[in-house]
Amino acid sequence: MFDNNVFLENSCVNVTENGEVTGFELQTNITYYRGIPLSMIEYIHVAVDGEQVPDEDITISLEREDWFTLKEAETVTTYKWEYGEPLYIRVKKPGGLTPGEHRVKLTVATRTAYIPVPLEGNKERTVTIA
Amino acid sequence: MSKIKTCVSLYSLQDEYLNHRMTLSDIMHFVADNGCEGVEILPDQMLHGAPDLSDETVAHWHELLKETGLKPVIADIFLNTNLYKNRTLTHRECIDLLVKELQQANRLGMHLVRFVSMVPYWVLEPLLPYCKQYDVAVALEVHAGMAFDIPETNAFIAEMKRLNSPYIGLVIDTGIFCRRMPRVVRAYEIQNGASEGMFDYVDNLFKQGTDLHREMRKNGGKLPDGFVAAMQTKEDELFGPLCDGYENYPYTVLDDLMPYIRHFHFKMFEMTPEGPEYSMDYKGLLQYLHDHDYDGYVSTEYEGNRFTLPGHPVVEKQQVAANLHYVQACLKEIQG
Repeated sequence: MFDNNVFLENSCVNVTENGEVTGFELQTNITYYRGIPLSMIEYIHVAVDGEQVPDEDITISLEREDWFTLKEAETVTTYKWEYGEPLYIRVKKPGGLTPGEHRVKLTVATRTAYIPVPLEGNKERTVTIA
Repeated sequence: MSKIKTCVSLYSLQDEYLNHRMTLSDIMHFVADNGCEGVEILPDQMLHGAPDLSDETVAHWHELLKETGLKPVIADIFLNTNLYKNRTLTHRECIDLLVKELQQANRLGMHLVRFVSMVPYWVLEPLLPYCKQYDVAVALEVHAGMAFDIPETNAFIAEMKRLNSPYIGLVIDTGIFCRRMPRVVRAYEIQNGASEGMFDYVDNLFKQGTDLHREMRKNGGKLPDGFVAAMQTKEDELFGPLCDGYENYPYTVLDDLMPYIRHFHFKMFEMTPEGPEYSMDYKGLLQYLHDHDYDGYVSTEYEGNRFTLPGHPVVEKQQVAANLHYVQACLKEIQG
């Protein structure tokens, strides 16, 4: 459900910090029809070319200023992931994605107010890294 | 004498909003331009920071009401009992969250909030003083699949009757009055790998005057054998159980509840080129409401957007406009 909300097109890029490529970033809309606090993200998974990256290597941000690991985000109740605004997801990977094409899959699941199971969305895109 | 008025839940235009084709202002002007009288909003969807809205956001909302002439009717609110991953909120935490929602409704000029289905009955008594303080009534949504056979809904109704306050009521979602399974749902799920036989089975139940939810209830909560036999693909495991979300109650199920009903969601999957909605007989329901002197809004709630076939545009504006024009024509005929 909400697969169409997941993984915004053309959003996957390598991230350079202090002159070094430290990983890659992607953006997604929420897998729900309303905004919720970050603590209500149940899980996020990223896979590259069929291989899932360790969840511990993922950090998320609403504005690219404050970054939280998925574990830390479990206690973030004051910042909301708004409907219609992207969540920025970074994956730590020294050197980033290699130039060329990659299949990148993003899975996002949120807890909802009345549906007993989390709402999961998936999207795999072919990404070209320059 | 009934006083039935039109309203649109802005939920109906969520894809336009999500993908930045329309702003909140665009959406409100659009529904007003189509003759709508009232507006329903999910603050969590289209008002950033809800329920802790900034003064600027609240001022902008009131400007939009003034510009469009729309009446603020109802705010749809939720209770995040699962705010934390490791535990469920305590009762007092739940009440604290709901009080904030009542404050927010008051700031938005709303005198009614909709509780999403399954909000527990025990919030009502502690909330009543706040309802009075902020002059905001609370109403539980009775939604298909979570309606009159569900313990949580019945517990709420019992508590509502016990407390008997003008600040407590119900919102009825017309998905409980489906007379056919929406064909847009069928088409979408078959396109995603579901089996046609499953939907043929459900169509047949509707022809017999029943529905899958009722048949499951009779069958101890399990899918009927004939339905299970029609399930052929792994996608059926996902889509099959979702077929119980379309119920086929007679309007008379509302007879003794009418004094408590504060609002209707006119759920809409597909307005047909011929005029009526494909699955529901709005005209029949409006006549029932007229005959029972309903004084309130009927609110367009489009949900066909999530069943748009790949490669096809999402037609929220067209469907909302068609729905409004159809309901307006019915009301003109029924109410004069």
